[in-house]
Amino acid sequence: MTELKRFNAYHRILHVAMAVSFIGLVASGMPIKYAQAPWAVWLMKFLGGYQSAALIHRVCAVITFGYFAAHIGYVVYDIAVVRKFKFNPLGPESMVPWFKDLEDIYANFLWFFGKGPRPQLDQWTYWEKFDYWAVFWGVGMIGVSGLFLWFPEFFGRFLPGWAFNIATVIHSDEALLAAGFIFTIHFFNTHLRPEKFPMDPVIFTGRLSLRELEQERPLEYQRLVAENRLEHYKTGPQPNWITDTGILFGFAVVLIGFALLILIVLGQFFY
Amino acid sequence: MLRALLALITVYSMLVTAADARDECYSCHGKKGMRGYVDAVSYEQSVHGRIACAKCHLDISGYPHAKALKVNCGICHFLGREGAPTEQAEQYKLSVHGRAALAGNSAAPKCQTCHGSHYIYRSTDSRSNVSREKIPALCSSCHSKEFGDYRASIHGREFLEKKNLVAANCFDCHLEHLTPKPGDDQFKLTLIRQCGTCHAEEMNTYQKTYHGKVARLGYANIAKCSDCHGAHNILPPSDPESRLSRKNIVATCRACHAKATAGFTKYYAHAEESNRAKYPVLFYTYLFMTALLIGVFAFFFLHTFLWAFRALKERLEKKGGG
Repeated sequence: MTELKRFNAYHRILHVAMAVSFIGLVASGMPIKYAQAPWAVWLMKFLGGYQSAALIHRVCAVITFGYFAAHIGYVVYDIAVVRKFKFNPLGPESMVPWFKDLEDIYANFLWFFGKGPRPQLDQWTYWEKFDYWAVFWGVGMIGVSGLFLWFPEFFGRFLPGWAFNIATVIHSDEALLAAGFIFTIHFFNTHLRPEKFPMDPVIFTGRLSLRELEQERPLEYQRLVAENRLEHYKTGPQPNWITDTGILFGFAVVLIGFALLILIVLGQFFY
Repeated sequence: MLRALLALITVYSMLVTAADARDECYSCHGKKGMRGYVDAVSYEQSVHGRIACAKCHLDISGYPHAKALKVNCGICHFLGREGAPTEQAEQYKLSVHGRAALAGNSAAPKCQTCHGSHYIYRSTDSRSNVSREKIPALCSSCHSKEFGDYRASIHGREFLEKKNLVAANCFDCHLEHLTPKPGDDQFKLTLIRQCGTCHAEEMNTYQKTYHGKVARLGYANIAKCSDCHGAHNILPPSDPESRLSRKNIVATCRACHAKATAGFTKYYAHAEESNRAKYPVLFYTYLFMTALLIGVFAFFFLHTFLWAFRALKERLEKKGGG
């Protein structure tokens, strides 16, 4: 079966780094946020105490800053060197949200209510763009507030101490937003929706089938055909071990994510 | 024959009333100036007033007798015995005082050190050695340095000078019978709740901060009440001698945050995001974050549920049609 390249190795490695560090951050941060919940005590013990959890949290934070910078570097390299600035930031290959996305949201809601066909989607759907920019917002908000809390003595030289109270509220609530979003909406939109259930391995294999492209991203398919570029993306399947490892990893992350989600819901609403 | 006689004597001696036996003791010890003088009226009004001397002074059986040994209260106050409070004695055995006494430290306080011997009254009785107003003085007989600090503190001034007996005294923190070792982690963490029995609001707001949350998870090496406010020497922050006064607060924070600055100390260690008047920036940040979370979740949960519903419906229709 012909497969098409969607993500290169760099993208896939960064996504794995993101998933691992995100799980680490949530697991080591939530026992603090929900310290009143009984599960927080045993999760903290499991992580080796609060100082060990704090170390895990900081290591994962460094990984986060790392993949974030690596991605920015990639975008700059891709636009400047690979595309030689021949890139339309408002075009279909860009992550920048544009009017087409609003139209797609509207069309999708019409379809939800049975009042229209599914929108014709392109390379990046509006929910994928939202996920993408949410990381910028999240890493920005949680990252900056996290740095404040990591180095309070340094920032205390320029800022009043109550900036750390503000940073705590932002850090904690943004973390809830990020974890709550990833463990429900991102998991559903990418893996659990009926067309993909139980998992869409594309982010781990980097490949999707021609049929998937044709059905789910018809505009991209038509564009590639019209521009005679389809051949350029065609490739064979990944070796089995990569596919299998990817799927195994994906399942593990989804399951851990659900477990953490249950703890968050317990902490937020029941204790 | 001899055994029957002995049995008879035993039964007789048991029938003799306590009062009769006491009268015998009072014939010497009821005289003022006598060694081991006991004031009969005060004794008989005490909680033990109906108990015969020999029930406690097991070593004394007649006259003349050797110097009485120290009474062991545990002969009645032991777990499982009815009619005598027992839980205090059990707690005492676990306490720093009890452990020291059991280890043979003769300076460690035993029951009588605090409660006295013959004139034991309920602690609510002002004649009691351990009535609330006497406690600081009682502890000071051994812990004079701590008493000095306490006397100058806000708690001590309220308690000793203003006779405000609601103010914390030694036992409110150190627990009269259980008295844990001061350096014990569990004790340090328990103290947060002890402070919270009077300072409930402050405890709640503290528990919402990083310090409070880590402490709540059971780790003592983080700022707790006394690390900032002090222990025996607690003073209101408005007092220049307070650990939290403008003059001292940087040094107090520096105990943990070595490079703390004056700006750093403007941290709200008892922040309340719901208090708009006191913490406006915090309040509006919290409001914004809450609105953001509710907005994003509301939109995407709706999106997800509608999507799931539609997709499942189409699948079922396809199957049904095919």
